[in-house]
Amino acid sequence: MRKAVKRSDEPVWWALFSGGGVCFAILVPAAAFFLALALPLGWVSLDHEQALAAFTSIFGVVFAGGVIALPAFHAAHRIRHGLYDLKFGARGLIKWLAYGLATLASIYALGCWFVRFLL
Amino acid sequence: MSYKSELGRTWWLKNPAFKAYMLREATVLPLVFFILCMLAGIYSLGKGEQAWQSWVVVMGNPLVLTLNALALVASLYHAATFFVLFPRVMPVRLGGQKVPDNLIVIAQWAGVAAVFVLAAWVFWGVL
Repeated sequence: MRKAVKRSDEPVWWALFSGGGVCFAILVPAAAFFLALALPLGWVSLDHEQALAAFTSIFGVVFAGGVIALPAFHAAHRIRHGLYDLKFGARGLIKWLAYGLATLASIYALGCWFVRFLL
Repeated sequence: MSYKSELGRTWWLKNPAFKAYMLREATVLPLVFFILCMLAGIYSLGKGEQAWQSWVVVMGNPLVLTLNALALVASLYHAATFFVLFPRVMPVRLGGQKVPDNLIVIAQWAGVAAVFVLAAWVFWGVL
């Protein structure tokens, strides 16, 4: 009789955390500087038409995946373990809430890009 | 009576190294704020020109700017602590020679700089 092997889901979360860590370090600094500081301060200009064209291009998926989706999983993983470190008890709830929200953010960002890219 | 020692919520306040660890963990909090801003940007992008312009105005709110500036600092702090780990986790060998640790760290910072240069080229058409 074969016994079902119970596999851990941790490698999945760790891979997403790890990939997100690379993106957080390499892509987020420039994205935060140009989009969240330089743009509202008027150092650079990006009107709606330009922004839409850029997001609809192949670079949009790099943005949605590398600046939003993967860093969101990185943040979720760290928040999850940070809350464990702070001795919060509801571990299962924390885990699914953290990764669930990161999944929703990823689906929204990548979905928006996918829909626009296809149309 | 249990012999298992219990840690309280404040264990990390007792040692500077633990505090540094928790500070590093906390760098994701401004990152979360930045990600939410970017999601709002994508949403307004889909809504139209007016919504896009008001998103840019909201992004210029002093509190939003401050939190995003914190996110930039946090990302650089994360990068600084993250890059030094790479040569320790995965020592690189080239032609039988171990690549010096600081060379690997510099190469990663060059990656950060390259993204900045690319963005500057896109926005300003210079560099």
